[in-house]
Amino acid sequence: MSDPIVAVEGLWKRFGDVSAVEDFSLTVERGQVCGLLGPNGAGKTTTLRVLMGLERPSRGVTRLFDTPVVPGSPVFARVGAMVEQAAFVPHLSGMRNLRLWWEAGGGRLQDADVDGALTVAGLGDAVHRKVRTYSQGMKQRLGFARLLLGRPELLVLDEPTNGLDPGEIREIRELIGRLTEHGATVLLSSHHLSEVEQTCSHVVVMDKGRLVTDGTVAELIGTTGSVYLEVDDRDRAHALVAALPSVAAVHVQGDGLVVELRDGQRSDLAAAVVGAGLRLETIMPTQRLEDAFLNLLDHGAPAETKAPEVAP
Amino acid sequence: MIALVRTEFVKAFLRLRTLVISLLLIGLPTLIVVAIKTRGDRHERDGGEGLFRLAQQSGLLVPAAVLSVMSGFLLVVIAGTFAGDSVAGDASWGNLRYLLMRPVRRGRLLVAKAFVAGTMIWACTLLVTLVALIGGVALFGSHPVTVPASVSFTSGGISGFQLGTGALVVRLVIGAGYVAFGFTALLALGTFFSTLTDTAAGAIGATIGVYIVSQILDAISQLGQIRYVFPTHYLSSWTSMFTGNTYSQDMVAGIIVQLAYLAVFGTAAVVWFRRKDIRS
Repeated sequence: MSDPIVAVEGLWKRFGDVSAVEDFSLTVERGQVCGLLGPNGAGKTTTLRVLMGLERPSRGVTRLFDTPVVPGSPVFARVGAMVEQAAFVPHLSGMRNLRLWWEAGGGRLQDADVDGALTVAGLGDAVHRKVRTYSQGMKQRLGFARLLLGRPELLVLDEPTNGLDPGEIREIRELIGRLTEHGATVLLSSHHLSEVEQTCSHVVVMDKGRLVTDGTVAELIGTTGSVYLEVDDRDRAHALVAALPSVAAVHVQGDGLVVELRDGQRSDLAAAVVGAGLRLETIMPTQRLEDAFLNLLDHGAPAETKAPEVAP
Repeated sequence: MIALVRTEFVKAFLRLRTLVISLLLIGLPTLIVVAIKTRGDRHERDGGEGLFRLAQQSGLLVPAAVLSVMSGFLLVVIAGTFAGDSVAGDASWGNLRYLLMRPVRRGRLLVAKAFVAGTMIWACTLLVTLVALIGGVALFGSHPVTVPASVSFTSGGISGFQLGTGALVVRLVIGAGYVAFGFTALLALGTFFSTLTDTAAGAIGATIGVYIVSQILDAISQLGQIRYVFPTHYLSSWTSMFTGNTYSQDMVAGIIVQLAYLAVFGTAAVVWFRRKDIRS
């Protein structure tokens, strides 16, 4: 296996006596879309700030592309990041902001993907207006344009759809999808669980600064192995499904069935139903990411630990 | 580094504040020059202030008179604004973190910002000098000046002397340079304060506040020699070139004090900024 694109190992971040992040570890492999989930104050933004060299870790190591993160590191040229809300120089136009930001890093604008970035921003002539006249949604879109200027291999996004309307959120989701199709890796922090569920392949859940769990979205949602099924002939389906070796139990619920899976995949169940000549109308997990997330926070939160002594 | 400096210049130049300051620094010296001309008769009768009285003899002395009044407060406020805003301005917009998530070394960014702020301060001083010089020469000509004994009391009993056109020009250049250089300590302090806070107004206020306190304390002679290390103590030493026919040793001391502040607070700013958690 190749080296992970993002590696956080034993990260601690303390502010005085308060630990924002405690012994947190995370890896993101190439091509993954990893969602970083957690309630407010879980330490998500602090983790991303440390990862981008904005804050110094109290203890632990962060690596990007197998390079230790230090402020101003050349490795940041391979990363497009948006930490908290997009922010710009308000008295300059959107276009001049993009130009100055790019050139401040020593690049020439003709080397940047300006056309692609402006297409993403979709601001039209407004890109030549002063940023102080922009709505938050326009700033956020310009922020996306900025981080795409350098054709980044890794996107680090902290609540990227804040301030966007549903249509814009969908555009961003599709954009992330297109970028990952072209090989980009994404680390995405969000409290919009449906957004993470639809966008991410992997999920890391943190709470009170600590890792709660990580894995694929399917693994996280499938922890109860429960599926809701609707077919054209419920009784026949009941008998069929109950006989499958991967099924632990079947219950009737309304017009459908709730199937408790032992270790089988939903796709196997669907194949069995369709293969028996039944018309499959609905198959979905009874638990969404939101349920799994809340269950984890209720029952899976790590115990309080004492922060280690950190050298000043 | 050049790219950083260039981008910081663009940000500074394209700001409405810079335009307002420029207009102020053109308008106010013009007003003072006109006032010297129209109120000149009254000043002659009253004796007037040294440089202002002399300025009526030659337009080459008008910039010195204008600088002597504007460097005491207005230029301090302007210089404090540029210095205090250097880092905290970007931080208050939330833009600083985006600059630092690039392959940009913090030390270089800080030096670039301080360099641009310093250049703006020098440009402001130069603008005041040029406006006053143009107005002064237009209204009073560029004659040699005879400094009477009543003005030259600081030279210790010299009964009067004459400054030719060439001497006036040289002293004017040195004087304007000294005034601009006299803001070096303020630049260092302002840049340091600017790294401490994400609020530009706070950094600017702290910078100007230190100068006001320094001026107040400097006026208390009972404080003795400690006043010699105040950043404002030697700020007006340059006027003796015109009123006392002497290059004061205080100017050398003033340069040393400014350099000391630059070394101490410039280093502190770099060290602090390189280690700082960027929370804005």
